[in-house]
Amino acid sequence: MSTDGNTPEENPPGEPASAEEPTPAEGPKKAAKSAKPEKAEKGEKAPKTAKTSKDGKAEGSGRAATPAGPGEAGEAGRSDETGRSDKGGEGNEPEKSVGPRPGPAPDAGSASGAAAAPGPVPELTPAPPPAAAPVTGRQRLLNSLWPPRLTRAQLTVAVLLCVLGLGLAIQVRSTSDNSALRGARQEDLVRILDELDNRTKRLEDEKRRLENQRTELESSSNQAAEARKQTAQKEQQLGILAGTVGAQGPGIELTVSDPKGLVEADKLLDAIQELRAAGAEAIQINDVRVAADTYFSGAAGRVEIDGKKVSQPYRFKVIGKPQDLEPALNIPGGVVQTLEKEQAGVSVQRSEKIIVDALRPAKRPDYARSSSQ
Amino acid sequence: MIAVLGLVVGVVVGLVVRPVVPTVVEPYLPIAVVAALDAVFGGLRAMLDGIFDDKVFVVSFLSNVVVAALIVFLGDKLGVGAQLSTGVVVVLGIRIFSNAAAIRRHVFRA
Repeated sequence: MSTDGNTPEENPPGEPASAEEPTPAEGPKKAAKSAKPEKAEKGEKAPKTAKTSKDGKAEGSGRAATPAGPGEAGEAGRSDETGRSDKGGEGNEPEKSVGPRPGPAPDAGSASGAAAAPGPVPELTPAPPPAAAPVTGRQRLLNSLWPPRLTRAQLTVAVLLCVLGLGLAIQVRSTSDNSALRGARQEDLVRILDELDNRTKRLEDEKRRLENQRTELESSSNQAAEARKQTAQKEQQLGILAGTVGAQGPGIELTVSDPKGLVEADKLLDAIQELRAAGAEAIQINDVRVAADTYFSGAAGRVEIDGKKVSQPYRFKVIGKPQDLEPALNIPGGVVQTLEKEQAGVSVQRSEKIIVDALRPAKRPDYARSSSQ
Repeated sequence: MIAVLGLVVGVVVGLVVRPVVPTVVEPYLPIAVVAALDAVFGGLRAMLDGIFDDKVFVVSFLSNVVVAALIVFLGDKLGVGAQLSTGVVVVLGIRIFSNAAAIRRHVFRA
């Protein structure tokens, strides 16, 4: 390890002169330029011939060692080593361009060798190969990894890698954090915003439409319910007038007993008219409902109402204001006196609850039509 | 070793501190990170080749980042930002792969 440690230590001073870019293409050229002309030729030759028989050629040049300059030996040793180490790889995948890759390394090595120690290398021709031979890429990596050395290069690289790690972490966090919006470009954001706006507008429109519809339906249903209610009320009122529904309320009960059969139909009609004039709202005689088209017929004792024979005693059930109805019947020369003159028994009773439950069938007029519409 | 420590420290700091990136720089950060990754892989390969130089690494790192961001910025101004950034990522990805192949040859000899 100590010898390995030496070579990297020696290499860095040479490196800035020779080895530059990570990209391999520039390496060889610069190295070739900085090196001597024969070596440039050699350097260019070496990669080309490497594919065929690098091992042999390198060894041959190493053995001869006469024609080339001081750097030759180092280069020979390096290329020898790399050639051997790469042989397996070349054998496995010959079609791949492995040639250019070992190229830079030998050149760099040779250039550094030439720059660092131009003089002593030729004398120590056998010495450098064992020293340089073990330094492979893997070992270089391990060397730089394990004994942590606080060099300038390490520090600068550490700072840059720190920045990279920072950026990496920020980016990963921001992309995983909140969806794709954070890293999105401006035009994408504008497009997304437009889409959202359009969508919002569409939804607003739809909402307004639906709300209008709802209020419409509500008001119409309200109106319909109101109309139904009013219609029902009107039907009740009209039904009471027409006699098609039962009625109840305060009123009086007028009983006319006519044992001798002397009361005529017009006397009953007079009583009805008197009651109506006093504000009677629903009238029933025995079990016949009195309505607008009620008629009286027949002689005394065999009175018919609406063609229905009613027999005495005639019981009037009248709904209205009792305080008005009773005096109306009892006024001097009124219904009660007239009936008593006919020798009929008349009695009037107030009541808080009169039930008129006799009904008339609803009749549809054949000819008369409403003119209000 | 110290370089690896630096990377770890950067990631930890980024995760813990949650620094806020200015919105102007934000779109260029991913491209810059990819470019920096390319530079780092190139530097690793150069180290394995024995031709690593810290000055070159610093310059290539910074220039990679700046050029990548510049290309994307220019693309944004020209209205082809998305396509250009895709192209930059493709090119950098190819370079990263070729560097990774060289590194693999060194490390695994295969």
